[in-house]
Amino acid sequence: MADTAVQVEHDHHGADAHHGPTGILKYIWSTDHKIIGMQYLFTGMFMAVIGGYMAYVFRMQLAFPGISVPGFGQVSPGEYNSLITNHGSIMIFWVAMPVLIAAFGNFLIPLMIGADDMVFPRINRLSYQIFLISALILLASLFVEGGGFGGAWTSYPPLSAVAEYNLTNLGSTLWLTAVALEFVAFLLGGINFIVTLMNSRAPGMKAYDIPLTVWMIVIASVLFMLSVGPLMAGAVMLLFDQTLGTGFYDPARGGDPILWQHLFWFFGHPEVYVVLLPAIGFVIDITATFARKKVFGYKIMLYTAVATAVLSFFVWAHHQFVAGIDPRMANVFTITTLLISVPIAELLFVMIATLYGGSITLKTPMLWALGFISTFLLGGVTGIFLGASGADIYLHDTYFVLAHFHYTFFPIAIIGTFAAFTYWFPKMFGRMMDERLGKIHFWGTIIPFNTIFIPLFMLGGIGQHRRIYNFEHFPELAEPWMFTLRQIATISLVIMLLFQFVFFYNVIKSWISGKKAGDNPWKANTLEWSTVSPPPHGNWPPAELPKVYRGPYEYSHPDREEDYWPQNEPA
Amino acid sequence: MSHAKPIATLRSATGIPTGRLAIWWVLASEVVIFGGLIAAYLMHRLGHPEWADAAAVTNTMIGTVNTFVLLTSSFTAVLAHQAAERGDGKKAAKYLVFTIGGALTFVCIKSYEWWYEISHGYTITSNTFWSFYYTMAGLHALHVIAGAIIMGVVAFDAYRGRELQRVELIGIYWHFVDVVWIFLFPLLYIAK
Amino acid sequence: MSDHSGHHDVNYKKIYFTLLFLLVVSVVGPEFGILWVTLVTAFGVAAVKAYLVIENFMHLRWEKKLMKWMLTSSLIVMALMFFGIAPDVMKHEGRNWVNQAAIAATERGIGGHGEEESAGEAVEMVEAEPGVFNAQSQYNIACATCHGQQGMGDGAAAAALNPQPADFTDPAFWTERDRDRIYTVIREGAAAVGGSPLMVAWQNTYNDEQIEALTDYVMGFQPE
Repeated sequence: MADTAVQVEHDHHGADAHHGPTGILKYIWSTDHKIIGMQYLFTGMFMAVIGGYMAYVFRMQLAFPGISVPGFGQVSPGEYNSLITNHGSIMIFWVAMPVLIAAFGNFLIPLMIGADDMVFPRINRLSYQIFLISALILLASLFVEGGGFGGAWTSYPPLSAVAEYNLTNLGSTLWLTAVALEFVAFLLGGINFIVTLMNSRAPGMKAYDIPLTVWMIVIASVLFMLSVGPLMAGAVMLLFDQTLGTGFYDPARGGDPILWQHLFWFFGHPEVYVVLLPAIGFVIDITATFARKKVFGYKIMLYTAVATAVLSFFVWAHHQFVAGIDPRMANVFTITTLLISVPIAELLFVMIATLYGGSITLKTPMLWALGFISTFLLGGVTGIFLGASGADIYLHDTYFVLAHFHYTFFPIAIIGTFAAFTYWFPKMFGRMMDERLGKIHFWGTIIPFNTIFIPLFMLGGIGQHRRIYNFEHFPELAEPWMFTLRQIATISLVIMLLFQFVFFYNVIKSWISGKKAGDNPWKANTLEWSTVSPPPHGNWPPAELPKVYRGPYEYSHPDREEDYWPQNEPA
Repeated sequence: MSHAKPIATLRSATGIPTGRLAIWWVLASEVVIFGGLIAAYLMHRLGHPEWADAAAVTNTMIGTVNTFVLLTSSFTAVLAHQAAERGDGKKAAKYLVFTIGGALTFVCIKSYEWWYEISHGYTITSNTFWSFYYTMAGLHALHVIAGAIIMGVVAFDAYRGRELQRVELIGIYWHFVDVVWIFLFPLLYIAK
Repeated sequence: MSDHSGHHDVNYKKIYFTLLFLLVVSVVGPEFGILWVTLVTAFGVAAVKAYLVIENFMHLRWEKKLMKWMLTSSLIVMALMFFGIAPDVMKHEGRNWVNQAAIAATERGIGGHGEEESAGEAVEMVEAEPGVFNAQSQYNIACATCHGQQGMGDGAAAAALNPQPADFTDPAFWTERDRDRIYTVIREGAAAVGGSPLMVAWQNTYNDEQIEALTDYVMGFQPE
């Protein structure tokens, strides 16, 4: 990092003299919310690379069955199971969660509400350390005898509960332990976020002056906290089934395997909204900034998010329509599932209405935000088919579900992350990212993404099932044209993964020699832009902690010459 | 490593002290963990009338004594809070030590009970009632042990007159552990 | 700390003795053996006790409304979870389904434990369980999923398996297999004799005697 940035940091240190460890320990043992946010961010990105590599390996096996995959070798059936299981688990629990909620939550919440840190900095650090241990346990599970867990990321018993069935005795136990620890880490982090927002807002910041990003992350934390408890209890029960030989999920011994499915999806479905809401928050903030326009319906947005959160507790059993649940319950869950598309559509309409009539600048973050809106829309629309129990019985467990899922999660976890990362990069590192490389990376990601999953929609429609190791074993799924579609998807994936090198190159290059960003490169209103970039420990000098005078989206106010009006500027 | 508290920790936009707000959120998340386990047990219990035979084996006497011990330790915990509020750290520490004593008594009685049951062949794998029995009581016992350890730290500080607000926080947590037991007691011992 | 210290003129001792009194009630009540008395004294009293502790010891009574909402919402979420899951887990049959395993477990439990009162005897029952080992019902639970109830290799999961599960009624199957081989495959899995790993080992689930019984049962499918 450049000398001047360090210089600025020192200047600010004068007053609040932080006596912590020095050297490298300063970064790995820090209680500063920004450093912890970065730790989460880079751990998450590292895991994303592993998850992407796994996707590459098993997609190669599916498109060209039996070939020796470059960089991996021949894929055995057991390895295939382990790869798809861990790809799913990593991308959701070790990429989407830590990056969207923990990384940006940690980095942004105190900055955006004008506080010097989280309310419990040391618990914050503990949360990251537990998360790191969980990631290490998961990675270790890939190398134990029998290989990593291969019972799918949903981990249904009896497959997951009985070592004789899944053939990965230690792998499944380590996987379950890692997931449970990861939940503990996010409970600690989530409580920290919630309490920080409730108690530590800058003077003058009322409920409707809080930027939507912060609201969304905190609503997501509450949602996570209320839904994860039963699954933690369920995970302990599954762990006992695996290790001690209890029969919680064994009907012959008085248990019930459906119970796990319920407990899993009681968490699993709200989880979708746990990761969705922060991404929505980033996108709406970015949209308002680059359209130079007030968010169309701040309160509508907020109430809709709350409604989504509440409704998300009523939809979980739509994952189990074919599991033999009570048909009357299936009716109820069909109705609630179709209902939840209403608030989600509303959120997208608010974004589109915010764009309407704005003076839009297509900088890289804005491109990502628009990419989010358009791809997530497709994901949402295909979900309608799956929500109706009648159609779902045909489509269940096909590639249609898989493609739908990726059309929602890719915009959330990948596009949302890139949007937020490119938007807040100047604040994080004090330098601008390269626009040209950023745009190359954007198009190189978004086009292949569509050509990966549109063929998979088609294959799903003709009934191609998920979790099949080699389609050559099924004559009706081994037609040449089907293999062509699979190969298109796989080649697109390879292209997309190659384009990520542009991103990493861009990050490193801009970090070292990017243009100096200044405090507020995007001319945005929210509080994080009122301090220097990158902000020092404590964010602002203690005497200059900001006060808030207005809402976060006062762009193009008619009475002002400037087209923005920072929240902390006295009237 | 001593840390100056961030300004964020001292702010209170809701009017509720930060520590107390956080401990209630912790409890709200604990409610769903225990709630999930209890709900799962309950629906199995209602669906399996034969579990009544297994439940008949649990020792109501021991359960009652343990309930008494926990209620009493809750009482001393609230007295510790009262003392801390008056600024009397030494007295608060004394009551906290009583509470820790209650926790230890509870754990000892629990160990004896489990030893007795296991030695008579009722292990965690005997049937699903016993699996639930050991899982629920075990999770609760873990909370008792964790609470006792934290309470030791808080008492140590309180004795020196430091961080007196923590006496209330650990007390709130302790009462919650007590409340969980109040529900586990009829579920596992009384209802035959 | 200081903001609500003024309210704390609670008589903690009184609450404590009330709690002890309620404890006695909840223990004595169920002794009568009347169902509704048991329910009220066990669970009703527990609710009252919990209420007293939460309101007075945890001082929820003086907290802001916000706090109460927080706790209520987590309780509502739990109630929602219970009522959403109970129709599938609690009941053993519905309009279009029957949970045979659960019904069997219940019948076994009631039949086996019915008269036993003392702990010692009940333990014997747990250990006596193998004596009533029923090869047919175990076959139907453990094997029929793939091999089919009639042993024809047409169980529900068979369609998804490659290679296909063995058809025991096929004479060709028996040309090169004897009883020892069947026993070994059940015990150690087909991979142990060079077959498919999809036929897993059962030695951790069943003891040797039970595997003998299962072998006999499978031998029964052999066409004459």
